[in-house]
Amino acid sequence: MIQLTVNGKTENLDVSPEMPLLWAIRDTLGLTGTKFGCGVAQCGACVVHLNGEAVRSCVTKMSRAEGKNVVTIEGLSENNDHPAQKAWQEIDVPQCGYCHSGQIMSAAVLLRENPNPTDQDIDDAMAGNICRCGTYPRIRKAIQLASQMQEKSRI
Amino acid sequence: MTKNNNVDTTRRNFLKLTGLGGAALCLGFYFPADGVPTLVRPSELSESDIELCPWIIINPSGKVTIVNHRAEMGQGSYHSVPQIVAEELEVDMKDINVIFAIGNEKKYGGQVTGGSSTIRSSYKNLLKLSATAREMLIAAAAAKWNVSVADCYAESGHVIHKPSGKKAHYGELAVAASKLSAPKEPKLKKISEYKLIRKPLKRIDTPLKTNGSLIFGLDKRIPGMLFASVERDPRYFGKVKSFDASKALKVPGVKRVFKVNMGYYEYIREGVAVIADSTWAALEGRKALKVEWDTSSFKHWSTPEIFETQNKLLKTQEGMPLKTQGNPTEILSKKTKKLDVVYQTPYQSHVAMEPINCIAHYKKDSIEIWGPIQAPGWIQDDISKQFKIDKEKVIVNMTFLGGGFGRKAMIDYPSEAVGISKILGGPVQVVWTREDDATLGPFRPGISYRCEGTIADGKIEALKFRMAGQNNDHWRGGSKTEPNRSTSEGFLKPYYESIKNLSISDVLFETTIPTSFWRSVYASTNGFAYESFIDEMAYEAGKDPMKFRREHLQEERCQKLIDKMEEVSGWKNRSKNEGFGVAITECFNSTVGHVVKVSKNLHGGVKIDKVWAVMDCGWYVNPDIIHAQVEGSIVMGLGAATTHQITFKDNVVEQHNFYDYPLPRINEIPPIEVYIIDNEEDAGGVGEPGLPPFAPALTNAIFDLTGKRIRTLPFKLSEV
Amino acid sequence: MIQKGTNSKLMSTKTKIILIAVILVSTIGLAFTVSMHRITEKEYIGITPIKKDSVASVAAFKQVYKVLMSPRCLNCHPKGDIPLQGDNSVVHTMQPKRGKDGKGVYAMKCANCHQPENSPGLQTPPGNPEWHLPPADMKMVFEGKTAHELAKQLVNPELNGHKDLEKLIAHADDGLVKAGWNPGKGRTVPPLTHAQFKKAWITWLQTGAYAPAK
Repeated sequence: MIQLTVNGKTENLDVSPEMPLLWAIRDTLGLTGTKFGCGVAQCGACVVHLNGEAVRSCVTKMSRAEGKNVVTIEGLSENNDHPAQKAWQEIDVPQCGYCHSGQIMSAAVLLRENPNPTDQDIDDAMAGNICRCGTYPRIRKAIQLASQMQEKSRI
Repeated sequence: MTKNNNVDTTRRNFLKLTGLGGAALCLGFYFPADGVPTLVRPSELSESDIELCPWIIINPSGKVTIVNHRAEMGQGSYHSVPQIVAEELEVDMKDINVIFAIGNEKKYGGQVTGGSSTIRSSYKNLLKLSATAREMLIAAAAAKWNVSVADCYAESGHVIHKPSGKKAHYGELAVAASKLSAPKEPKLKKISEYKLIRKPLKRIDTPLKTNGSLIFGLDKRIPGMLFASVERDPRYFGKVKSFDASKALKVPGVKRVFKVNMGYYEYIREGVAVIADSTWAALEGRKALKVEWDTSSFKHWSTPEIFETQNKLLKTQEGMPLKTQGNPTEILSKKTKKLDVVYQTPYQSHVAMEPINCIAHYKKDSIEIWGPIQAPGWIQDDISKQFKIDKEKVIVNMTFLGGGFGRKAMIDYPSEAVGISKILGGPVQVVWTREDDATLGPFRPGISYRCEGTIADGKIEALKFRMAGQNNDHWRGGSKTEPNRSTSEGFLKPYYESIKNLSISDVLFETTIPTSFWRSVYASTNGFAYESFIDEMAYEAGKDPMKFRREHLQEERCQKLIDKMEEVSGWKNRSKNEGFGVAITECFNSTVGHVVKVSKNLHGGVKIDKVWAVMDCGWYVNPDIIHAQVEGSIVMGLGAATTHQITFKDNVVEQHNFYDYPLPRINEIPPIEVYIIDNEEDAGGVGEPGLPPFAPALTNAIFDLTGKRIRTLPFKLSEV
Repeated sequence: MIQKGTNSKLMSTKTKIILIAVILVSTIGLAFTVSMHRITEKEYIGITPIKKDSVASVAAFKQVYKVLMSPRCLNCHPKGDIPLQGDNSVVHTMQPKRGKDGKGVYAMKCANCHQPENSPGLQTPPGNPEWHLPPADMKMVFEGKTAHELAKQLVNPELNGHKDLEKLIAHADDGLVKAGWNPGKGRTVPPLTHAQFKKAWITWLQTGAYAPAK
């Protein structure tokens, strides 16, 4: 049994410590919002927060996740209203949408650590997430908008 | 248990309308489990529900459900089809429910989501049937209230009697309306009257894509479903000589290992499937599997040989003419001053973000399939033949697609999944790894083009294009004695008017490497060769390349497109040391022009400063979706031009995953501006036509800046 | 970039003091290096070597240099702020940035992909619990350095992470250094074994840490 917290809930999973966190999340817990894209930490579709960091769950073994706090896209906010989610909706960022769970999870870490990111900061944070549909110009706009929304909500 | 589409017709409450080009409109009603919009499929309706109509379902509570008959892979059909219907039906987008149709081409007409065809092939029909439904609902209300139809109007899902203010929602009128006869010529709105169409409405599927709730093929789960990973021949058509499953079967969770076949049109591709109780177990089991292949029965190609052969053929063969006018060959043979060059484009993989996957359940009397599917009808045809079952008993459910780009219009992966389910006797999801997805094809074919031309009086006197590349149709049994019908794809038709001596021919070239559609298909490669060569001819003629195109494209829409391109890019005011390139291509009835500006990079090579795109797609639905599609096409075109290529060694792909088939990332994307030409012409495609002009506009810009003509893709921006 | 300008205006007094301190230390370090350079080309560390032997020392460093310039060491000691990767030492895909502490930035921290151990398979991220680049204030660049330059840098406490001889010797057994010899499938190991490297390293240091002429 491997114990970890997923989206605020304690889970005891009877899986191999070698199993990537991605497959435990998707197949064992049935949380399919986290995506399989490449399996080798190249595309970022599988990004989840592990103790707050944007890890690639396809290469993160259960042994590393044990005892830690995992947040997936389903748990990022209760009402689909994290500033990144709201900005993604406002700008209509997604096309197919497959990569955007990972994009949003990466953007959330950026916005937490740097509430006013520059274009360079966005590049530095987001270059690990591939989008085949090519929504990058809108991802950039949405992060800028999320930053403004975040700032407004603080005032 | 899931119900199929063979619902007992006696329980249907529908009315067939005539005069709608074969498509029937049925006003029916059904009762969703709860009042909130949910994503359901017709085949998931419960026993008490009544099976409905092709596109519009009205519930007694007033809830309107609109059926999207096409695949949603990012291009926006899930939003655009309802946006059309809602306009003429007079319902609000926020109040509607949208569901995917299952494969049923008798009911919906063509459902193959390819060729950027969803809107252009169905908008007229959708407008008319929606207006028909609206008029019938109004008529039902007028009859109910015993008032004049002329005094009633529809708005936001209600019919309103203007003089009295009486109001009824569509749910109260649907049953009565369904018993009326349909008006033959319902009154359609003028473009200027549209409230929804041509407005940049926010996509209704976006919120589902920001919280992980949207179900792609890979996310679909069926009770009792197992998972499969398949080791397939990396040379495509080898036979399993032997396999050793002993280690694979020891992997915890692995249930069975067996040989499977995958139908690829008229061919069979063999594989060994590892079945397990989780995706990971199936993948681990497969790693432990050993398979020996017999690949002795077909030729193995390597990339250098492919292009050398194409070049040799282009030197010696005239090919099969698709288009000939005047006598370009004779003119070219007499002239000493002429251009004669070869362009080359690489094989490409699709690598949609969602790797190929498919769920199949082979039952005794039916076969049900769920997955990211672009072409449900083709799958029904193929499975019906392969497994000897009536087409109607092959139920194909389209999930959302995590990208398609043509790959998911193939019939191979569902065929394999059904084969596995049949052996297994239960539902199974076959999961392709990224490596499977990138390396096993089919690919966009790598093509060489010989382009020859002469100039007289500052204009093109003779032009001759020959293409040597694989014809995708051959895999589907297409004739080898006729030219590839797509040889001219991408090339603007108005050139046929101005270039009196012109020929476009296809030189037969074949390999054992499977090829198929890739976003914008042959326009993506033709466009590079043809529009680069037009640029070469412009310089040969000593003309500004934009002006040269303007002179050769004497057609009103082209002239307006060029006006717009010049205006937005500041073409005429560009300074001499700036690199500006232009290219215009036609694809799926839309014309798109790009202007690219490049400059020298301080660290060597060139960088792209800006891209301007102008799209003329005629009648359109949602300008924001068009912007998004063109932006995305440019990003995809950037990767195809500058970073990725599939190469082969003895028929085996040398790339594997994103580390050696790198896609553009956010830090590599230039600023992009997109403009739409407003007119009332017939609708053209949107999802693909934005891609082909990018590569030639870029390389033409590089020539403008550096004098270096790039004729082979891909090339590295840093090494120019 | 605009952001950075704004930040500097808003710089707290505390930050200013730290900045001044850093500048002072750097200047002192530079002065120290320069003065040492003037006095002698040979000694850089204030600890008496066991036995001075310039010939043996330079010979040992040449071995050390081969290892340090191998992709396994070089890739994480780049000139710029982006690590290199692969046996051909190309700029790391997706261009992860060093960050202040050398552990990456935002959603691109090293450990987001690089696990405590090598990931299984070819072309997967190699791993180590300490995976990082040198920090921003002590970049310890190897890329592009001659043997002479690198030897001098390695024994200069202001450029080597404030390591004295003892710490330098101990560094041969550092977990991340040793990870170079367990690089994950498909990557070449340095040209010497770890034992050979360690021996050459210590020999170089203990015979006077002489820098080769070039």
